[in-house]
Amino acid sequence: MTNIPLSIAAKMDEYPPGCSVSIELNMNTYFDVIRGLVDIFAKQKDAYVFYISATIPSNKVMDLLELFEVDISRIYFVDCIAHIMMGATRTTDRILYVESPTMLETIMLKVEFLTRKYRDKTPIVVLDSVNSLAIHNDLKILSEFLHIFVTSLRGKGAYMIILSLKDQSTPEMAAMLNLVSDEVITVE
Amino acid sequence: MADTYSAREDRCVTGIEGLDNILNGGIPRGNTILVTGSCGTGKTTLSIEFLVHGALQGERSLYISVTEASDKLLKNMIPYEFFDPKLIEERKLIFIDLPVIYEKLGLQKLDFTLEEIQILVDQIVKVVVELNVKRLVIDSITSICYRLTTEEKIREFILRLGTELSDAGCTTLLVSELLPSAKGYSQYGVEEAIADGIIVLGNLERRGDLLRTLQVVKMRGTTHSRAKYVLDLTPIGVLLVPLLKGGSVEMR
Repeated sequence: MTNIPLSIAAKMDEYPPGCSVSIELNMNTYFDVIRGLVDIFAKQKDAYVFYISATIPSNKVMDLLELFEVDISRIYFVDCIAHIMMGATRTTDRILYVESPTMLETIMLKVEFLTRKYRDKTPIVVLDSVNSLAIHNDLKILSEFLHIFVTSLRGKGAYMIILSLKDQSTPEMAAMLNLVSDEVITVE
Repeated sequence: MADTYSAREDRCVTGIEGLDNILNGGIPRGNTILVTGSCGTGKTTLSIEFLVHGALQGERSLYISVTEASDKLLKNMIPYEFFDPKLIEERKLIFIDLPVIYEKLGLQKLDFTLEEIQILVDQIVKVVVELNVKRLVIDSITSICYRLTTEEKIREFILRLGTELSDAGCTTLLVSELLPSAKGYSQYGVEEAIADGIIVLGNLERRGDLLRTLQVVKMRGTTHSRAKYVLDLTPIGVLLVPLLKGGSVEMR
């Protein structure tokens, strides 16, 4: 059986900084892919991870990562789902909250803040997930957002990784991801 | 990015990277700029950051507070990571409360005459020249204009002030307060016509989300973007990204 975390990290290692990669996955491989990215790949590159959580509140992602003994000291979250779920939020420097996933500019601003504040290492920006953002935004503004966001991150030499749940994707969404990504990786 | 522009002596590099990009390198030196918007849009924060960056670059910077006592203002200021308290100790960054100047000049009436306006302008310019101030913020010009009562007096005040400060090589931000329902860019309509530039800060409501925006609608002496940007006020300063185009209803 393939070790998904190791293989996704190895695959990502083929790309240079400043690239944009979309990863199509399913619910069975979801957490393995995240581990591969934020634990193995980030460690290999000695990089910071700026994790945009639009699917699961960052609290939960942090809890899960800690459960699997992943070192979260290099991970910072931009959480755009916790507020609209009216759940309890955690006050920590590791999490920047965006009031709603419709505030796409604010997501860019929070990542901009992190890339400026933590300049000493390569940034890996993980967007989890484009499908969740598509629930709250129409595809036109989402495409515009991704185009500007990805282009800006390329200029900063960041790795941009866009997660996409295959079961929830549409042909339009796939076309959009093709447009903004250097490569689309499918994890079965 | 700001360093790229620092060699350009004709520009006053604001130090706010996004704004310097919008302005093609900064504000043309000596310009008088109206920074206008309704409450909570970030006018004072942006203006203070402009001064702090100036002071850090060795340019003496002066903030004239008209309504709020400057010690209270400093207490509530965003704790900038780049702020150095020595700037105040070494008088690179100076805060003055205008009511203190009013008192010294004996300007106690609510309605200034043209002569009193000249006295006030002379006093501000005197401070700027004596202290070799290169960056000035008056917060707010609206509160001063409240005491000028006629368009003629407001025109006289801003025109004289702008000309004399420009001659002194001082780049000035005049903070202007607007009601959210206002149609122009200034409370009295005169300020916007005389200023060399206008930076509008606003609140944009889009599907229940409230975004802070910035737009440079006028800037003499430089080409500039006239697009609208979304801004965030952070401990590392004002950050700007382009406003995504979508159906939106604006309120200022």
